[in-house]
Amino acid sequence: MPLSLSYLVKRVAWSITVIVGVVVLSYLIIILSPGDPAVKWAGHPRGPGAAKAVEQARKELGLDQPLHTQILNFLRMVFTGDLGLSIAYRQPVYDVLWRNLAATLELLLVAYAIGVPLGSFLGVFAALRRGKRVDGVLQAIGTVFANTPTFWLGLAIFMALLPSGFTAYGRVNVSLALSTGFYTITGLYLLDALLQLNFPVFVDALVRLLPPALAVAAYPVGVCLRIGRTLMADALLEEYVRAAAAWGVKRRTIVWRYAFRAALPGLVQVSGLAFAYSLVDAMVVEYVFGREGLGRLLYDAVSVNDFRLAIGLLVIVAAFYLIVNTLADIAQALIDPRVRL
Amino acid sequence: MVLAVASRNLSIGYEELDSVVWAVKNVSLEIERGSAFCLAGESGCGKSTLGSAIAGILPPHAVTKGVLLVNGKSVINGEVRDYEGVRGRRVTYIPQNPGSSLSPYLKIGGQFYHVLKSVHGLEKREAFAKARDYLRKVELNPDDVLERYPHELSGGMQQRAAIALALSTGAELLVADEPTSALDAHLRLQIVELLRKLREENGLTLIFISHDLLLASALCEKSAVMYAGRIVEIGDTRRIMEAPAHPYTRMLIGAIPRLGDKRPLRSYPGEPPRPGEEKVGCPFYDRCPSSIAKCTREKPSLVPVGDGRYVECWLYA
Amino acid sequence: MSEVKEVLELSHAVRRAWIRSTRFKVGAALSSFVLLLAILGPLVAPYPSEGMGAVPPTAAERTGRPPSFEFPMGTDNLGRDVLSRVLMGARLALIQITTVVAASLAIGLVVGVLAAYYRGPIEVALNYLTEVFLALPAIVMALALRLALGQGFHTLLFSLILSWWPWYARASFVYARSVVEMDYVLLARLAGVPDRVVLLRHVLWNILQPVLVQAITDLGSVLLEASAINFLGLGLKPDEPDWGIIAQNGFKYITSMPWISLFPGLFILLTALGFSLLGDALREELDPRLRRRWKLWF
Repeated sequence: MPLSLSYLVKRVAWSITVIVGVVVLSYLIIILSPGDPAVKWAGHPRGPGAAKAVEQARKELGLDQPLHTQILNFLRMVFTGDLGLSIAYRQPVYDVLWRNLAATLELLLVAYAIGVPLGSFLGVFAALRRGKRVDGVLQAIGTVFANTPTFWLGLAIFMALLPSGFTAYGRVNVSLALSTGFYTITGLYLLDALLQLNFPVFVDALVRLLPPALAVAAYPVGVCLRIGRTLMADALLEEYVRAAAAWGVKRRTIVWRYAFRAALPGLVQVSGLAFAYSLVDAMVVEYVFGREGLGRLLYDAVSVNDFRLAIGLLVIVAAFYLIVNTLADIAQALIDPRVRL
Repeated sequence: MVLAVASRNLSIGYEELDSVVWAVKNVSLEIERGSAFCLAGESGCGKSTLGSAIAGILPPHAVTKGVLLVNGKSVINGEVRDYEGVRGRRVTYIPQNPGSSLSPYLKIGGQFYHVLKSVHGLEKREAFAKARDYLRKVELNPDDVLERYPHELSGGMQQRAAIALALSTGAELLVADEPTSALDAHLRLQIVELLRKLREENGLTLIFISHDLLLASALCEKSAVMYAGRIVEIGDTRRIMEAPAHPYTRMLIGAIPRLGDKRPLRSYPGEPPRPGEEKVGCPFYDRCPSSIAKCTREKPSLVPVGDGRYVECWLYA
Repeated sequence: MSEVKEVLELSHAVRRAWIRSTRFKVGAALSSFVLLLAILGPLVAPYPSEGMGAVPPTAAERTGRPPSFEFPMGTDNLGRDVLSRVLMGARLALIQITTVVAASLAIGLVVGVLAAYYRGPIEVALNYLTEVFLALPAIVMALALRLALGQGFHTLLFSLILSWWPWYARASFVYARSVVEMDYVLLARLAGVPDRVVLLRHVLWNILQPVLVQAITDLGSVLLEASAINFLGLGLKPDEPDWGIIAQNGFKYITSMPWISLFPGLFILLTALGFSLLGDALREELDPRLRRRWKLWF
C-alpha cells in the first residue's frame, strides 16, 4: 500500500487547521475593515427593516462578546454550514454554494479532461521531434496558450459563436429539461443526464459546455504541453531508456512505457496545481458566458454587498484548493513507486 | 566463419559545442564467436564507447568513421549507423549501473514482459514463465524478484536481474560494460563467476569491459588494452599478464597489488590525455619510461610480436 | 566571495541569453516595447485626457467607431479613443505588476528566510501562515476586500500581494533551507557574526538568483490575474485606463463594438508573453540542460 492511514489522517487534520486559519482571517477582514461589522454582515440594508436586520446581524456575530468568543462562534457557524441566508439569493448560503460549485466543477473537469491529454500528447510529440521546426512551433503555441488571458479567450470564443446563433446562456435548455423529466442528482448535469439515460439533455448540456470549457482548457494545454515536453525530453535521456533499447524493446514501447511513464508523475503534479488555479479561470469564463456557477456568485455578491456569500465562497475555494492538493499528492504516491506516504 | 565482431579503422567521436571529441581512434579488431574478450583500460580510454557501439546504443550526438560489423552485419559504415534487427537479437548488453538502467516505474516482471514481447512476441503468461527461468539462471529466486520494483532490490540483485534481462533476449553476443564497477568488492567475483558459468552453459560470446585486468583475466582468453582511444596491445590475456609488451600495459600490471609480492608498486607520473586532446606522435609518449625520439614524431601502428600478440609501439616496430 | 559570484552569474546569464536565445530576444523586445509605451504613452497618445477616462465634448458624434486611420483602435461607447486608453493602460499595468511582485517578493523572502534560519516554532508558525494564504486565490480575496474596503487600487494591490507572497515564501524557504545547512553559514554563526549579517550576506544573497528569475516570469502571471480581477470589477474603478477595465467596458458591447475589448486583451497577452519568455530564457541559462542535438535514435 503506497498510502498509509496515518498520512491521510495527518493530511486531513492539517487541512482542517488551515481552513480554520482561513476562517479566522475572513472574520478579521469583517471586523477590522472600516465600517460597522454588523452593517456589513447584514449587507448594508436600506429601507424600513434595515435597523432590525443590523441588530440581528449583531446578535448573530456576537459582537458584544470578547474577540475569542466571536471567533469561536464564527468557526462554529462556518463548520456547521450555517452562514445564514444569502442576501443576493435569499437562500441558505451553503445551499447556494453547493449548487454552483457543482456547475463550476463540471466546467473544470470537462476542460481538464480535454486540456491535459491534449497538452500532454502534444508535448510528447514535440519532445520526440526535439530540435525540429515542429518542436519550436509547438513550444511557442504552448507558451502563448499558457499566457493568454482567459477572459479574453472566453470573449473571443463567445464572439466567434454569436453569428451561428449561439445564444446559449445557462447550462441547459430549461424547457427541454422539463419536458424530458430531467432532474438533478449530483449537480453535474452531464453525469446526471447519463444516469437517467436522458440523451437530449446530455447533448444539449454538452454543447453549452464546450465553448466555455475550451476557453478554460487553453491554460492546461499550454502548461501540459511545455512541461510534458521538458519531462519527456529528460526521460528520453535516461539510462533505462538506453538499456531497454539495447535489449531490443520496440520503439513504441520505449516511448510510452518507459519515457512517458517517467514523465507522468511530473505531469500529474503540475496538472493538479493548475487545476486548483483554474478554478478562478472557470469563474471568469462563467461570467463571460452567463453560465450558472461560482463565477456568477462573484458578480451577485458584489452587487448587493453580500458578505455572507463572499465569506462562504472564500471558505469553499480554500477547501477546494486543499482537497485538490491532497489528491494530487496521493496521486503521486500511486503513480511513482518510489514515493511512499 | 563469421566473426562476432569485426572493425576496420573504426573511429567514434562525440559532437560538442563546436568540435568533435574523438573517443575511439582508428580501431581495427576481430573477435571470434564463442570467445571471451576483454577490453581493458583506464576511465576515458574509449572502451565504453566501443562497447556501446557494438551494443547499438551510441547516443545521437555521436559521429563515426570506419566500419563495424556485428555477426557479419554492417552496423557502422562511415557516418551511417544501422542497427535494425541487431539490438536485442544479435547483441545484448549488461549495463554498468543497474540501478539506473532499470525503469523505476516497472516491476522486474514488467521489464521482462516488455523485452520478451518485443523480441520474441511472447504474451504475459509465457513471458513471466520464461522470466522465472532466466532469474533462476542468475541464481535469483523469482518469487523474491518478479513483483518487486528495482529500488526494492539490493545492488547485487539489481545487477543479476539486469544480466537475466540481457540473457532473455536470446542474443549470442554479450557486451558487459563494467558490470562490477558499481558493486561492492565481495560481489565482484560472484558476478564474474556467474558470467563464466552462463557463458559456458549457453555458448555465448562475451565482451567484458573493465578497468580491472586482474578480474578480466579470470574470465577472458583474449584482451585488448586501450589507451587514449587506441588499442595499444592485444593478445592472449594470460600471456599479457605474465609478460606485458607495451610500456603502458607494463604500468598497469605493475600497479596491481598481489598478495605475497613485496615489490613496490610502480606507476608513472602523469595522466592520460584529456578527451579531445590531439597529440602528434604516440599518446603515451610523455609518461613512457622507454620512449625514443621517433615516439614524438609519428604514431605507431599495431605490429605482431608473435604468439598472436599485437603491440602498438615503436619499440617493436 | 559568493555574493560577487552570484551577481556575475546573473549578468553572464543575461549576456549569454541575449546572444543565444531567440526566446530571450523576443521576450526582451516585447517587454521593452511595453515599457516604452508605459513611459511614452502619455506623451504619444492623441487624446490623453480621454485615455484617463474623460469624455470629450465631441464624443456624441463619434461613439462606437470601428478602427480607422483617425482612431486606429476605434472609439468606445462613450466616444473615447481606445488607442489613448490602451496607451495609458500600459503605464498602469506596469505600475500594478511591479508593485505587486516587488512587495510579494520582499515579504516572501523575509518570511521564507526567517523560517529556514530560525527553525523551531517560528518555522512552524510562518509555514502555517504561508499555507493559509496559499489556499486563497487572488480573485476570491479580491471579492472579500472589495466588500470590505471598496473599489480601488488598494483593493487590487492587497488581494494580489496577499495571494502571491506565499509562493515566494515557500520557494525562499526551500532554497534557504539548503543554504542554511552549508558549512560557511555554520562557521559564520560560530564565529559570532551577528545573525542579521549572516542572513543578509550569506543566506539571502544566495537564494536571490532563482527567486528573481521566477519574479520576472511572475510579472506576466500577475498581469493576467490583475486584469481578470479588474475585468470582474473587483479591483480598480471603472474609469481607470486599466486594460482589464477597458475590456469590461467593452463586454457589454461585444457584439457591436468588439474592438473595445479586443485590443486591451491583446496587449495583456503580449505583455504577459514578453515577461514569460524573458523569464524562461533566463531560467534556461541559469540551469543549463544538455544542449546537444538529439533525435530519436532507437
